[in-house]
This record gives sequence, C-alpha cells and structure tokens, in this order.
Amino acid sequence: MKELNCLGMRCPLPIIAVGREIKSLVGGETIHLLADDPATELDLRAWARMTGNQMEVSGPNEFLVTKSKVD
Amino acid sequence: MAHITANFLAESPLSSRARDALGDAIDQGWADPRKLAHSSAKARILHEGAIASLAQSLRLRTDEIEILGEPALGHFYSIAGLLRPQDALVHSLVDRKEVFALAKGRENVHELSVDPSGLIKTEELQALAGSEGVLALQVANGETGVIQDVEELVAHSSKLRIAADFSTAGTRVPLPSRWDSAFFDSRSWQGPQGIGILAISNGSQWRNPLPHLASTRSPQSASLPLLIATAVALEEWNENEEFEKERLRGLTHELRRRVSTSIENCDVAGDLDRSLPHITSFSFLYVEGEELLRRLEVAGFAVDSGSACTAEDLQPSHVLAAMGVLTHGNIRITLHRDSTPSQVFELVEAIRIAVTALRVP
Repeated sequence: MKELNCLGMRCPLPIIAVGREIKSLVGGETIHLLADDPATELDLRAWARMTGNQMEVSGPNEFLVTKSKVD
Repeated sequence: MAHITANFLAESPLSSRARDALGDAIDQGWADPRKLAHSSAKARILHEGAIASLAQSLRLRTDEIEILGEPALGHFYSIAGLLRPQDALVHSLVDRKEVFALAKGRENVHELSVDPSGLIKTEELQALAGSEGVLALQVANGETGVIQDVEELVAHSSKLRIAADFSTAGTRVPLPSRWDSAFFDSRSWQGPQGIGILAISNGSQWRNPLPHLASTRSPQSASLPLLIATAVALEEWNENEEFEKERLRGLTHELRRRVSTSIENCDVAGDLDRSLPHITSFSFLYVEGEELLRRLEVAGFAVDSGSACTAEDLQPSHVLAAMGVLTHGNIRITLHRDSTPSQVFELVEAIRIAVTALRVP
C-alpha cells in the first residue's frame, strides 16, 4: 500500500496529490492518505464519484483510496 | 467588463426607469410620511402608492407588507417573529448562514439534509410530523439556484408555521398555498440595495421579535426614495419576466452544456430544470478556486467562488458540502437581463483556458 502524507496541506492540494499518485497504480491498488484539511473528505468523496475510483475513511485524518479496476 | 457576475443579490445595476424614479423621489419624497406637514402628506401619498404597487406585483394585500431598511435583518424578522421559546426550528443544511446563526444555541433545532441535486429530503420532514414550530423554507438557493419543491414541503409541515425566504427567488417562484411570513429582497428584481420586504400573512401568529413599545411590526425607517425605486423596478421586472426567464434559461443551458462538454471533470451543482434560470455553480477537479477567479477577473468576468481557499474562514461552501458537490475549483455564475450569448461564449472560452492552464495532475 502506498503512503501519501498530505498533513498540513490546504485543499485542493491533497486531492491533486491523490490524482497524481493514482496514475502510477494499477487497478485495485490502494493509497493510504493522511490529510487534515477539513475539505479533504468532502472532496475525496466527490473525486471518487467523478473518477470512478473508491475511497473510505479509515480513521481521523486517514483515508484509503483504491484505484478502479476499470479504466 | 461583461455583465456576468457572481452575486445576483449584490451586483445588479438599477434599470434606467428605477434610477429615474429614485432621482424624482429624492426630490419629492424626502419628508417623513408619518408627520402632518404638507411635504409629509406628499411623502405619505408616495409611500402608499409604492406599497400598493408592491402589493399588486407580489400578489399580497397592502396590510401584509412591512418594509425593512436593513434587508440583512429580514431573515431574523421573518423567522424569529414566528418562533416561540419551546418551538422546533426546522431548516435545511443548504440554508443561509443567517438561519444557522438564528439556530445557534437553540435546543430544538432540526437540520434537513438535501439529496445530490440540492432538494430537501422530504422523508426527514415527514419524520417531524408531530413537531410544532417553524419551518425556515429557503425557496431557492442563492449559490446554486436550486428551487425546492415548495408545495410538497408545505404539505408535509402541517404543524409548522412557514417562514418562506424569497430573497433569491424573488417573484420567479409563486408564494406557496400556505405561508405565515415571507421575505423578499429588492435586489432579486434588480431593485436598489437596502430594501427588504417582509410579508406577514393575515391571521399568522407573527409578533415583532425586537423590543418595541408601540404596536409597530417594523422600525418604519426604510428610505422612501429607495422604496419607490423598488416598486418601479419590480413593475418593470414583471413586465419582461416571461420573455427574460426563457431567454436566460436558454443561455444558462448553453453555458452549462458548453462548459460540461469542453472541460472534463466538471461538477455542476443541481439540475437546470429545477433551478432559477440565471444561476450556475461549477466545480473543476484539481483546480484552485482562488486562482481561477483571478484569471477570470483578468479576462473581464467578475465571478465568485464557494471554495475554501476563497472564504474568510477557509471553510468550503456549506451548500456544496451538503450536496456532495466538489468544493474546490468552484465558481458561481449569474447571468443578468443584459447578458448576451456572445458574453456567455466568451466566458466559456475564458473558463476553458483558465482551467486548462491551472489544472495540475
């Protein structure tokens, strides 16, 4: 699992970082994201809906982002 | 600068007719209409004429109308006048911040969720069927233009008094079949800034929520010239509304279509079929809203944003958050009665260029 530390970053930087990082993954692989900007969860949900990838909240300021198996 | 802006309520210029009326009223309506002098009698006639005109345009009775010289207090007057200490206050998560402020500290508050298209979930209102209190009903949202299913919400609120907020909808949505108070802002029909209209339904249990001695329902301190300009602006607005709303709906449809098809990963808040014809909210993935605003400003378009990076409190728009719409890279666009197709096409191109330049991954 890839780690992505975006603590201290303001939105949209965490989402931009996820967007960059997800390109290097294959379908089904997951990123463990740390981010504490209050808009991250909202925008990560919208991002998942728009891009077809998956996200879940795994703890306080922690998210699991999984690349879709369908491109 | 092209006449496409962000904020419907604050940035509409007065029509020439309303401006002329304002100038004439400053010459003739300077006296206090409540006093006995000749000049006051003249002012009183002007005042009564303006109220009669507003009543006719808004389909109200003259004795249902109160004029507020501070529209920002309108939400408070409208809701707090109906609210008793033990009452439930019911409002939606996309409501105005003034309503959240009023609810702060109260015990019996119910916040209604909205679906992804911005419509209040009626089942949550149905679950409150036994509650007595006030429903703060925002008829149309100022950020997204989404119009609520007002009649259905009213039907599910049999024990709730209705405080309807028409400050964005103006006369574009009719009054519901049942209401207790309603608030209008002159700016929603391109009237002057500084006039709010509070309608109190005859028979409603509304009481003046501010300290008062005489039996007045409002401070009676609104500017008469502004009131007259408000009435003139509304008459003019209604004369052209049938044509203008269809024209604006066509333009907004084209704006949404062109942006959505020319820029990928664009989130549009709400469906145009369920929205006011002139308001649109776009969010662009991987784009910083503040920089997008700056670039559009340079291109001649003064739009606004609900993104956290543009907010004073660095919080994203609570409206977008409640709808589940992307909160970053957000712009709000308002078309006006003098907005043209070529301005809209230029705006689409300016957005496309700016988003392409700013999009990072």
